[in-house]
Amino acid sequence: MTTDNNALRVDTIGNLIDPKLKPFIKLPESPSEKPHLIGSKCSSCGEYFFPKRAICPNCLKDEKPEDILLDNKGKLYTYCIVKAAPLGFDAPYAIGYVDIPEGLRIFSPLTECDKGKIKIGMDLELIVDKIREDEAGQAVYGYKFKPVSL
Amino acid sequence: MGWNKVAIVGVGIIKFGELFDKDWEVMVEEAYLNTINNVDKGFDPKDIQAAWIADCRPGAHGTQTIAGVSLVGNIGLAGIPCTHIENGCPTGSDGFRNACLGVASGVYDVALVLGAEKMRDKSTAEMLSLAAQGHPVLQRGETAMTMFAPQAMRHMHEFGTTKEQMAMVAVKNHKNGVYDPYSHYRYEITIEDVFKSPMVCSPLNLLDCCPQTDGAAAAIICRADLAEKYTDKPVYVAGFGMGTDTFYVHEKEDFTEFVASVRAAKQAYSMAGIEPKDIDVAEVHDCFSITEIINYEDLGFCKKGEGGKFIEQGKSDLDGEVAVNPSGGLMSKGHPLGATGIAQIAELFWQLREDVRNSNGAGDPGVNEKRQVKIRKGYGLQHNVGGRGISNSVVTILTRNK
Repeated sequence: MTTDNNALRVDTIGNLIDPKLKPFIKLPESPSEKPHLIGSKCSSCGEYFFPKRAICPNCLKDEKPEDILLDNKGKLYTYCIVKAAPLGFDAPYAIGYVDIPEGLRIFSPLTECDKGKIKIGMDLELIVDKIREDEAGQAVYGYKFKPVSL
Repeated sequence: MGWNKVAIVGVGIIKFGELFDKDWEVMVEEAYLNTINNVDKGFDPKDIQAAWIADCRPGAHGTQTIAGVSLVGNIGLAGIPCTHIENGCPTGSDGFRNACLGVASGVYDVALVLGAEKMRDKSTAEMLSLAAQGHPVLQRGETAMTMFAPQAMRHMHEFGTTKEQMAMVAVKNHKNGVYDPYSHYRYEITIEDVFKSPMVCSPLNLLDCCPQTDGAAAAIICRADLAEKYTDKPVYVAGFGMGTDTFYVHEKEDFTEFVASVRAAKQAYSMAGIEPKDIDVAEVHDCFSITEIINYEDLGFCKKGEGGKFIEQGKSDLDGEVAVNPSGGLMSKGHPLGATGIAQIAELFWQLREDVRNSNGAGDPGVNEKRQVKIRKGYGLQHNVGGRGISNSVVTILTRNK
């Protein structure tokens, strides 16, 4: 199920986002904006990280890595389609590893799980969508990647 | 000449399976008795000076607060030191490695290492959910399969590895498992059976995956120079290695290899002073069919990208270049995390002594020719890989060569 991305602005969707994910995603504040993941960049060695880090594990310098909005487009490095799901998740769903221009690879559900339509190397963009249901059956939202061509 | 400072003088495992009728303590006691009662020249438990218990998820079966003493307290050894090891899928083999370090340090002459795991007390959905614990960005549908299935997809994409080749791993290991009395599953399957089994996580069907299995296994090790007190046919620890990798799967540059395995193997081969071609028999981590194919490459049995051809050409069969998983592997025998690595070591102990038996009972008349591998150079290799983000691996090299 893919929801209209324009409707998912911070005022309407903010309460539905998994609270634990909030530090890692910037929601759109107007219809013209897109969601972005929040990563970090080490001010010393320039390395990017997602999820963000309090200390750069690369150079271990004192400066705290700065929060940075990551590119919301990427290419699919590899994927799988899950048919046996953990509690709270509806199968089937697709999981992808998405390479973004900062040189990072992002673990993320994909909106599309039709094996014929998903291809390694395809262009993807970040959206906000339903991820799972909590124990009370309430929809929990988070980020996913969606094929650009679909 | 390997490291050879520590010798294995006895091993024992219990029949793996869905052991709803056996609680954790019963499994531990049975594996222990099977071990001490099968030492060639007899064994006095008073000789054990220290113990290691390997158990990956004691919280899942209610022993989390008593894990260390739950071993010695249940087998009449309360009083001696006992350490609990948890290290993901290599929990059992890392327990063994730590026990070896204890004996090699000179502090202990004789030690017990025992691994046990209850995997069926929780439902499959609950166990899948356990894998998703961790960072919030990963609590979004991650399971053990979402770590390994994308590796299969990428290996197929880069090297042309096929679903048929992956299925051949399952077919081979199930065939071997028929002749292993300890195996959870003891039936042969075909490539078609694999394809017809339910899809679990594309591209992996159910029969591409190891089952959820309860089990326990143990080994008694001692200073190499004391081994003859217990047996005339000890198996020596020629070398071992442990490798780690980045904490998250998504931080790995290359999804067609397990860097932790490559690092562990390099250490182990170096310590043993041998090369991959010297290995007669290997018990490797086939949690999924693709894992074994990647293992062939990571452990140096073939070149990178050629793992699919290696299985297809029969090079890992019982009479191949290196017999891989004669016990039936995780796929047929099962994968009770804490017990798995020690059960692999038990299999290699029997294989290297050319003493593989038909049953686990005493007085068994002879060697099981169907499962016994021809030992030429005298080396066996044990391997596990896993943990959060496929980030740790243990490789142990055993030898009968003094």
